[in-house]
Amino acid sequence: MKFLIFSDIEDSAKQVMSFLKGKGDFVLYTTEKGESLTKYGAQKIVLLTGKPEVKGISSLLSDEFSSGGYDLVMIASTVLGRDIASLFSGQKSIEVIPEIFEIKFNSGTVTTKRYGLGGKAVIEEESRSKVFTFLSGLSDDVPGDGSSPIETKNIPEGVVKILAIEQKKAKEVNLEKANIIIAVGRGLGKMEGIQQIEPLVKAVRGELAGSRPVCLDYHWLSEDRQVGYSGRTVKPKAYVALGISGQIQHIAGMRGSKVVVAVNKDKNAPIFQEADYGIVGDLYQIVPKIVSYL
Amino acid sequence: MPYDIVVLIKQIPDLELIKVNQETGEPITDGVPFKFENLSKNSVEAAVRIKEKNGGKITAVLFGNEKGTQVMKEAYAMGVDEGVLITGYSENNPVLTAKVLAQKIKQLHYDLVILGNQSADSMSGMVAGLVATELNLPLLSNAVSIEVADRIVKVSTATEKDVIKSEATMPAVISVTQETNEPRFPPVLQIIKAGKKNITTEQSTVKIENTSKIISKKAPKSERKRLIFEDVDKGAQEVAKVLKEAMK
Repeated sequence: MKFLIFSDIEDSAKQVMSFLKGKGDFVLYTTEKGESLTKYGAQKIVLLTGKPEVKGISSLLSDEFSSGGYDLVMIASTVLGRDIASLFSGQKSIEVIPEIFEIKFNSGTVTTKRYGLGGKAVIEEESRSKVFTFLSGLSDDVPGDGSSPIETKNIPEGVVKILAIEQKKAKEVNLEKANIIIAVGRGLGKMEGIQQIEPLVKAVRGELAGSRPVCLDYHWLSEDRQVGYSGRTVKPKAYVALGISGQIQHIAGMRGSKVVVAVNKDKNAPIFQEADYGIVGDLYQIVPKIVSYL
Repeated sequence: MPYDIVVLIKQIPDLELIKVNQETGEPITDGVPFKFENLSKNSVEAAVRIKEKNGGKITAVLFGNEKGTQVMKEAYAMGVDEGVLITGYSENNPVLTAKVLAQKIKQLHYDLVILGNQSADSMSGMVAGLVATELNLPLLSNAVSIEVADRIVKVSTATEKDVIKSEATMPAVISVTQETNEPRFPPVLQIIKAGKKNITTEQSTVKIENTSKIISKKAPKSERKRLIFEDVDKGAQEVAKVLKEAMK
């Protein structure tokens, strides 16, 4: 079996290559320069240069797919990746199975898992589809010692003109890489409450995050700190949910956390169903107590 | 210069009200009320803001079921001029959704097509690109901001790493994100007025078989320990231990 991979972010590229090792041959198409990508056993790495216009990239991948003898296409579910996959799907009239987090290759068919109903369901399906977008976390990152050759290809220009590309400001927040995340929800009650959470964040050298209402509706925290399906998907070693009720939107963003701690006044809050450790009570009393025991 | 806009909107089951059948482990969607999907509100808001500045007409197209009239009324109250409800929606089939929507859009006059980038229930993220392909139009996706002038539309797209500014000549397809704008809450008077407005309802005639077969659709299993403390002091001690472990 031969796989065509596209990822414009390094982590997902590494994960999918680690996952596919031993399952077939693969070529990585990427806009990322990283030398470290060569250590994962790809037949070759095709570095796409020029402006990252999605139609241009999908046309290029579509040509490569036709001429390169590929069987399956794995595209990282990123902002650009999803568009590239959908344009590829349209151009080639091949149905995409989107947002998968598990995949098994059978003879002639593929079994995949993804979330449906906003995370309330896991849909397991069997298909003859050839194109998949995959979520980050498909596999651990396991580098080998190979050294894939790199070639470059220029992205053809499309009808959309790219005027400028600005790097996002050096992110102060890197939730995806945080070991411990302290997340606050509506139960915080007021913006000033954050000051009383900060000692805990500092003590555990963690990052502060928030639920959708806290970041998007009340603006107590900036949008880049929002954990949830529509925000960031995180997998810290420990996730502490303070005053978060546990709506599915939120759970979908932190389900991969190793240990989940929840503090909530309401004994029946759904977050306790998704927690390893829970404390029922007032977060303003509990947080200083936790700090005192650290 | 006025612009005619088609907004594609979606009704979704109220996800928080979905319960799980304890025997089968399957989520129960029967009887769950529908609501106006969040990104669809952002899409309508984007269209209304363009109309307020430049004039033009907004037509909303909703591919759903007969309960979609409620959502359409909300869209009217936000500023949509005309609504078409197409019934016969089937979940998990973005190719079908895109074909149905494109077929309708082709019958309308438009300069822009606006829709959400990834709806909150199925989350496929596929429909914008598929619609753009069906209509053979440029796709400006995941817009965090939109500007229009002289039949040129400019958007900023925030990827994981960069902010990309791009432009295309109309007609074009734009997909929006939750950062694009803050949808308005329409005043009561407008909601009352909207209730009386006509909604064109049609039945979808496009048939495409889903090529994938669903083996199971169950609520995700949570294997959490669920050690819940009502003794705050004991709980805090236990949590401190857990956090110390995670800090290593």
